Amino acid sequence: MTHSNSLILLASASMLIGCATIAPKELVDAREHYQRASRGDAADAAPAEVHVANDALARAEHSFDEDGDTYRTRDLAYVAQRKSQLAEATAAIKQQKASKADANAEYRETQGEIVDQTKGELDDARKDLLVSQQAGAMTAAQLKAEKEARADADRRAAEALAKLGAVRDDDRGMIITLSGSVLFASNKATLLPAARARLEEVTDVLLEEPDRKLTVEGHTDSQGSDDYNARLSQRRADAVRDAIVARGYPRDLVRTQGLGEAQPVATNDSSEGRANNRRVEIVVARD
Amino acid sequence: MTHLPKIKMLTLATVATLAACATTPLRSDPTTSEIRAAQELGARQVPTAALHLQLAKEQLAKAEALSAKGDEERADSMLERAQADAELAVALSHEDTEKNEAEAAIARVRELRSDNEALQTTAPSTEQ
Repeated sequence: MTHSNSLILLASASMLIGCATIAPKELVDAREHYQRASRGDAADAAPAEVHVANDALARAEHSFDEDGDTYRTRDLAYVAQRKSQLAEATAAIKQQKASKADANAEYRETQGEIVDQTKGELDDARKDLLVSQQAGAMTAAQLKAEKEARADADRRAAEALAKLGAVRDDDRGMIITLSGSVLFASNKATLLPAARARLEEVTDVLLEEPDRKLTVEGHTDSQGSDDYNARLSQRRADAVRDAIVARGYPRDLVRTQGLGEAQPVATNDSSEGRANNRRVEIVVARD
Repeated sequence: MTHLPKIKMLTLATVATLAACATTPLRSDPTTSEIRAAQELGARQVPTAALHLQLAKEQLAKAEALSAKGDEERADSMLERAQADAELAVALSHEDTEKNEAEAAIARVRELRSDNEALQTTAPSTEQ
């Protein structure tokens, strides 16, 4: 006989007797709680506890059948109600434990996914790093090649310019010295025809790397006033600048400076020395 | 012959008197232990468990009072109530603990996922 059937029988018997005696509140409550427990989650989750509750209720019903509304019937019904509540609490405990176990399993699974994902990202990052390192190595090789090419160009330019005038290096860069007597008539700032051709040759060499900054400096000997020599050297520097720009060199990269007699390279006491002091220097800046 | 029935009568009377005077002590130890277990599980902090813990204590006190008056049957019956409430207080305390732990485990999963998503959002992209 199932619990439900036995309960129905007990309830029927109680009703028959109930005609004579009204069931105490404790018994009514115990029946309700048992109905709830036996039809709810406890039936599946806590069947043993539901069975205990059923037995307890049966004892209460039996007491009521035999003795009516006595303290014993009430105490037994009270205990039966608590047994039904205990069955429900036990079912709830099992459900919470299952929920916790599910969440912990999900946590471990998610952790595993994150680890896999992180490993994948790490692999990707390593591959990217390798590619970057290779690209960096390539860039370094390109830079080296470019530097060598630039040095080679400088060397070739110096060789070409050396044929056109004196070439030397100092802190400011490569300096091409053109003799004033070759470029200008005495006390004039107009380029001689031969000088123009020579300057074009110099400019052609400079145009191989037209991104260098140039400074054209005019120098004189000590004959004449300082002021005159300063103005003359400036005009001569400007004339050379104009010739270089006319040949195609970027104007904004060429500046001029008239230094007069301030920076002699030889004595002004001899005609040879003065000839050396009359000059135009083109300073080719380093990168 | 007349002495023997008298002796028997006396013996029976003595036994009957001793039986009437002998009281079975209230076996409240299991209930007391259950009440202590409920308290140790934190029943006082769980409203439903605290209610049944209180009922168990009150009914234990009533059972002891009935026992002291010599009403053993009612005392034992009341003790059953106390025991049932104490057991329920223990179960409800367990239920609350399990519920809190389950909620914490679920929150932990949610936090882990949220943190991971935040990391994915803020991580620099490796694609150009």
